[in-house]
Amino acid sequence: MSGPVLAAVLAQAAPLAACLTILIGLRARPRAAAGLATLSLVVALGATAYLVVVVAVPNVHWVAQTTWLPVADGPALAFGVFFDPLAATMSFVVAFITLAVMVYSLGYMAGDPGFARYFGFLALFAWAMLGLVLASNLLQVLVFWELVGLASFLLIGFWFEQSAPAAAARKAFLMTRAGDVGFLLGVLLLIRALGNATIPDVIAAAGPAGIFSPRFTATVAILLLMGVIGKSAQGPLFTWLPDAMEGPTPVSALLHSATMVAAGVFLVARLHGFFAAAPEVMRGLLWLALVTALATATMAMVAEDIKRVLAYSTISQLGYMLMALAAGSVTAGFFHLTTHAGFKALLFLASGIFIHHAHSNEMRVIATKQPRSQRAGVIGLVSGSLALAGVIPFSGYFSKEAVLATLGHNAGTAALALAYLGAGLTAYYTFRMVWLTIPVGAVGAVVTAHHEPSGGDRAMAASVLVLSALTLVLGYLGGWLAARLGHEGVEHGPFAFGAGPLVALALVAAGIALAWVEFGRRGAARAGFAERVPALRDFFGDNWYLDRLYGATLVRWGTALSRAARWHDHTVLDGASDGVASGTVWGGRILARVQGGYVQAYVAVAISLIAALGVWLVRRGGLP
Amino acid sequence: MVFAGSAAMALFGALLAVGLKNIFHNILGFALAMLGVAGVFLSLGSDFLAAVFVLVYVGAVAIAMVYAVMLSYPLDLPQRRRSVPKIAAAALLAAIVTGALWLVVRRAPWPPPLGAPDDVAPAQTGYRFLTDYVLAFELISVLLVVAMMGAVMVARRTREGGSGR
Amino acid sequence: MTVASYLFVAACLFGIGLYGLLQRRSLVAMLIALELMLAAVSINVVALTTLAGRDGSLGQVVALILVGVAASEAAIALSLFVAIHRARHNIDVEQLSELTG
Repeated sequence: MSGPVLAAVLAQAAPLAACLTILIGLRARPRAAAGLATLSLVVALGATAYLVVVVAVPNVHWVAQTTWLPVADGPALAFGVFFDPLAATMSFVVAFITLAVMVYSLGYMAGDPGFARYFGFLALFAWAMLGLVLASNLLQVLVFWELVGLASFLLIGFWFEQSAPAAAARKAFLMTRAGDVGFLLGVLLLIRALGNATIPDVIAAAGPAGIFSPRFTATVAILLLMGVIGKSAQGPLFTWLPDAMEGPTPVSALLHSATMVAAGVFLVARLHGFFAAAPEVMRGLLWLALVTALATATMAMVAEDIKRVLAYSTISQLGYMLMALAAGSVTAGFFHLTTHAGFKALLFLASGIFIHHAHSNEMRVIATKQPRSQRAGVIGLVSGSLALAGVIPFSGYFSKEAVLATLGHNAGTAALALAYLGAGLTAYYTFRMVWLTIPVGAVGAVVTAHHEPSGGDRAMAASVLVLSALTLVLGYLGGWLAARLGHEGVEHGPFAFGAGPLVALALVAAGIALAWVEFGRRGAARAGFAERVPALRDFFGDNWYLDRLYGATLVRWGTALSRAARWHDHTVLDGASDGVASGTVWGGRILARVQGGYVQAYVAVAISLIAALGVWLVRRGGLP
Repeated sequence: MVFAGSAAMALFGALLAVGLKNIFHNILGFALAMLGVAGVFLSLGSDFLAAVFVLVYVGAVAIAMVYAVMLSYPLDLPQRRRSVPKIAAAALLAAIVTGALWLVVRRAPWPPPLGAPDDVAPAQTGYRFLTDYVLAFELISVLLVVAMMGAVMVARRTREGGSGR
Repeated sequence: MTVASYLFVAACLFGIGLYGLLQRRSLVAMLIALELMLAAVSINVVALTTLAGRDGSLGQVVALILVGVAASEAAIALSLFVAIHRARHNIDVEQLSELTG
């Protein structure tokens, strides 16, 4: 095995080994479990860093596969690793954020009775996510896709003794599963048509020299996108993500902002050559992502729970990433993915510091509990918000500009205008969050003497501060990334700065200003324009009534179907087997009357039969 | 002649044995029937067998039956009525079986009678027992011992007054 | 006398015994009938071997064995009846049927 392949395998093997060891053996030793998990992620980080350094040339990829499931007269299913600069970078991002979250969790989850189990599940997630990124064929991707969903289920429902996390975990799993049906169908169609689902082969087959017809490519593209929509919480399948906030905050930071939900975006980026051969599908994706981005931005404007604001924001930004990819630029979309991973995780972890301190998720409640005393939290929240809003020179500015530039070149004026509107709304709700949580003014302004920070607090603060620093730095890596990814032909220089950035900055400033007026300045009413209109507040606050729609239709139909199935099971199936049983008993009772214990009846029967036998024998002329 | 009389006595005694109500009368009828059967054996030239029958059945079995009846018969309880369907069914079945046997006997090609049969000497029977059929001889002696012991054991009273163990 | 006449008689005796076995309620009465049936069989065997066969002593042997068997059977049966009576104060066969379904 060559160096890079070994590194890729090691990056997956280390967290897997940690996960198995913890879940099997170390449940009762939380500190050992946490240490092992963190160590495995350090190993993975090293391996992925090596990959990033070594796999540097664009459009060159490494594949190493072994046949896993030979099928007679059919395709042989393979299992292996495949990576190019895109995958290498993504795997590094995953490993880095996971490690940061693990360090943070040492503080955040301290004292929880499920501490070891938590780290085991985090290691499981790391293995599954890295496996997904480094997988060589789509079937393998699907396997890890589902494993990631499993890890999400386990972690959202980590405090399963309560009903809300358990319900949220179920909802997340079922909704993403619904999308995954499409994904599976798409993969199966590919295997049937091509004999295998190896990624380079799939991309080549859809290209101009390949064997797929445009209609076939479009069909498979739609099916694969169903999985993407589910996993990345776009379109009709987004409502699970706000509810997923029931999980611990570090989980929200890792899975539901930076990595797992970005798996869908990563898939589109990875199969970009394939999707490019279905331009109408991409057009549909663009508008779907745009609508989702705007809708969830409105929902973020009225949310009271800080994690829900961030969840809606995640969905919105994922929409931006998908828009960029749909408009043709892998670089822009992936760049935004990377910066978003950085600052969104930062925002979640920073909010976690406040939540931990105030024992509440509600922003207005946190505001009353002296938020300014949490210095690291304040720094993290502010720097992350500046990045999210897209203020120069923070990382978010550069990546968002890249997205908007791509849209401007390829997507048409209407889409671009709406995207700008979204950017403005993003700035508005972001700073609404900041000023609701850390009020300027009389509410909670006094900073009293703070207690000595514990080791756990230091762990949390350290990871937050590291990520804050990153937001200042990551923006400048855009060029490096573009050189690595170097997709030919499709992009039109996303980093050509022109009038576009100025318009964007103006809108961002307007959004921040509006937020300041409503929330930030002294004596502000602390009520947003959307919140003042009850109809809007209810509409925005309730996922645009989408959950109610689902409840009235799909859930009700599903429940009715389940009831019918249960009736069938109880009455027909159980009834049949019970009927056989009672029929047997009844038959037995009837037969038992033959043996009545009445000797003379026995004798009568025996004599009759013997006599008949005797007569018959004699007439036959003796025994044969 | 001997045959006819003995046969009639046997059948008459059998009818008494199964038909009368009083169990002692049945036993007496049984004894009569066995005497008749012994006579039949005489007419067949099996003197020894006839003597054995009289000794064993009339002299031992019937007496034992009397004892058993004395020890077990619920003389003080009222007799229950006999059910007619049961009588009819039993009679029917017995008649059928007898009729079937008759039929078979009638149809079979028997060799013509040779006149009075020769007497079979007991000595010859004894000889047979000790040579060709010695296994049967031994087995029957074992059976008799076992039966004696079993009968004693089963009918023994234990200290609590239950049946023997 | 022909063989057939002996066999007829034996058959009648057998039938009478069968009737008694099936019809009587008392265990002792059933035993009497059973002994009648066994006697009928003995007659059959002896008649056949002396009048229609070659070896009369075989029939004697069989009949003597039958006597032995019947006698020991009667002994055991009678002591069983005594034991049953002790346990249930009853030797009516219609009342001794517990093995109902």
